[in-house]
Amino acid sequence: MKRRQGWLFFIIFLLTLSVYLLINYPLQLGLDLQGGSQLTLQIIKEEGKVTRDELEAVNSVIDKRVNNLGVSESNLQTLGGDQLILELPGEQNPLVASRVLGKTALLEFRTQKEGTSKDLKNLQLQRLSIKELIEQYSFAEKSQNDDNFLKAIQDDLKDIEQELNYSSTSNDLYGKLIEIKRYVDKEITNLFIKTDLSGKDLINAGRRQEQTNSNWEVLLTFSNSGGEKFAEITKSIAGTNQLLAIILDGESISEASVGNQFASTGITGGSATISGNFSAENARELEVQLKGGSLPLPIEIVETNTIGALLGSKNILKSLYAAISGLIFVGIFMIFNYRILGFVSVLSLLLYGFFNLALYSLIPVTLTLPGISGLILSIGMAVDANILIFERIREELYDGNTLTRSIDSGFQRANSSIVDGHITTLLSCFVLFLLGTNFVKGFAATLGIGVLISLFTSLNCSKTILRFFTTYQSLRQKNLYLPNNNFSN
Amino acid sequence: MKYNLELIKNKRKIISFSTFLILLSLLGILYSTFNTSYKKPINLGMDFVGGNELRIERVCEEECSNLSPDSVLENLREISSNKNFINNINLQFQNNNKLISIRTPYLSIEESNNLITNLDNIIGPLNYESKDSRLIGPKLGKRLLTNCVTSLLVSLFAISLYITIRFDKKYALFALLALFHDLLIVFGIFSWLGIILSVEVNSLFAVSLLTIAGYSVNDTVVIFDRIRENLKSKEEGYNETIQLSVNESFRRTTFTSITTLIPLLSIILFGSYSLFWFSLALSLGIIVGSYSSILLAPSLLLKN
Repeated sequence: MKRRQGWLFFIIFLLTLSVYLLINYPLQLGLDLQGGSQLTLQIIKEEGKVTRDELEAVNSVIDKRVNNLGVSESNLQTLGGDQLILELPGEQNPLVASRVLGKTALLEFRTQKEGTSKDLKNLQLQRLSIKELIEQYSFAEKSQNDDNFLKAIQDDLKDIEQELNYSSTSNDLYGKLIEIKRYVDKEITNLFIKTDLSGKDLINAGRRQEQTNSNWEVLLTFSNSGGEKFAEITKSIAGTNQLLAIILDGESISEASVGNQFASTGITGGSATISGNFSAENARELEVQLKGGSLPLPIEIVETNTIGALLGSKNILKSLYAAISGLIFVGIFMIFNYRILGFVSVLSLLLYGFFNLALYSLIPVTLTLPGISGLILSIGMAVDANILIFERIREELYDGNTLTRSIDSGFQRANSSIVDGHITTLLSCFVLFLLGTNFVKGFAATLGIGVLISLFTSLNCSKTILRFFTTYQSLRQKNLYLPNNNFSN
Repeated sequence: MKYNLELIKNKRKIISFSTFLILLSLLGILYSTFNTSYKKPINLGMDFVGGNELRIERVCEEECSNLSPDSVLENLREISSNKNFINNINLQFQNNNKLISIRTPYLSIEESNNLITNLDNIIGPLNYESKDSRLIGPKLGKRLLTNCVTSLLVSLFAISLYITIRFDKKYALFALLALFHDLLIVFGIFSWLGIILSVEVNSLFAVSLLTIAGYSVNDTVVIFDRIRENLKSKEEGYNETIQLSVNESFRRTTFTSITTLIPLLSIILFGSYSLFWFSLALSLGIIVGSYSSILLAPSLLLKN
């Protein structure tokens, strides 16, 4: 009896601790409950697996970019060996994030091959035309223009294709336009030779508005060695008709000549500006990308989930209704069938709920919709153990045993099959947790934790509460434990 | 309160009934594989094939006006840049015309934003706070599918291993037979739901199958334990002992199923729509699982 009393105090202590934890460390809610966006980024590698180092390198670049974007309370974590998950809580548009994160931002400085001036001029001309066509196209889309307008664009495109001696393979007009633009970009890049100066030599990037017009330019600051390289490169082409190209992800964003006055020392001072007709937004995106450095491997955004804040709070409410009504009906069912025993199981279910939630805030487990359904489902499974025990107790009572003896042997005999029966569920949870997506992991975690806690509450807490009840003489009548009094003695 | 299920008498009926259910499931799976537009054993949802799913509410003063999806699509087609993809849009109004639910092939975030802006222009204002949007690339979908199938196979293997170690061969065989019976029937029901109501299965369906597997085996283990225990101690014949054991554990098995079904029913009735089919699959699994644990698995143990 003494030992049981010890357990009673222990349980009360745990309950107090749980309540304390829940008050001081509120539960973390997933995005489906508080609203927000979640992006899954897939690292693309043509051959072989993504190594741990590569994953970390990508992670740190993305992390820097997210920070530089000024997104508040974002959360970035890796998933599996080659995915990253970025969570943006609240009403933050994932569009900007996706634009900034998706680019590799590989910055190169290249010098023009000798004797290619004519080719370059021609290509620059084509690039201008194709850019104009793309603008016209998006204008045509917005203003619902008639087909003649589109036809004109199509004809212009044909002219450009002829000039380039290249025919596009895309199906729709927009695809064709983009394809031709890519082709021109590639051809231009091919006219330039790689140098050993790249985005790695940057220590900072910034932006400012150009003095003469409303366009923006991006400022690059080189490291010491980068500055030397830049001086060396500019020196080599100063006063010639070779140009210096700044190439971002294979697209030349600026081609500039270096004046004769730099022929002796090159451009020193360790900085450069790119002025390529940037809008304020574009300049900021480029700044963020350059500050974060280039990604060692390209990434692709493969999944985006967005949940409005209102829907999130609705989801919380719905889950709460489901959980509470589930608890109430299970409680009614148990009390109806098992009287006092049923009441005991309701009490231990309540304890079960508190312990579960407290553990979520302690570990911490982020609560999501599937997570909540795992918790609600585990209510049913937690009662399972109680039913096994109570059935045994009933049998013992029918066999004419005393109450105390029945309770003791009921718990004892049901023990092994309870532990046993939970193993298969735990096995499933374990596999789900190892192999599942984030979404599925939430379910596996809460169900698994629930099954483990239910071992404690249904075996230990139920027994302790029941023992406590039976210390009162008035609660020791057998008919309080059996709904039908059709048994002898 | 004693139960008296006449297992021995009804063995033939039980086995025929289960065979019938299995055949019906297989028929659904075959029909779904060869005779539907998607040509898969089950109608795979967005999680597995990729795509864009958007749900958003309209802001209406009192009642939302009745709109025909076709006219909205027609308007969308006129102002969208990509004319082709409109042909693959599925647009529905739910909840007294208040909720717009749209399915399209995969879109980039930018395209999806454009779609929402266009919708806002046509049938706005929209309540952005109520937005629920999911974009899944086709690559990720394939990967999720492989992932789910792998998890299912791995955990079935783990459960089989556990059962074989724990019981001797005959018991293990029948427990596993009952397990596959349960999974096949739930799978079959969803195949039919896909054919008839175009219900799709997502990764949560795989989760429910896994949970059912754990639960169903658990149920069977309890009854088989009882049978083994009684076979050691009771004087009656083999078949009679089995029948007796089933009747002894009948209350326990039905009660646990009921207490597990009650919370699931609460989720179906009150919970978020995204958990509806998941909870339904689990409920069906638990019902079929209890049936197979109480009636089918022990019947298979009976000697002629």
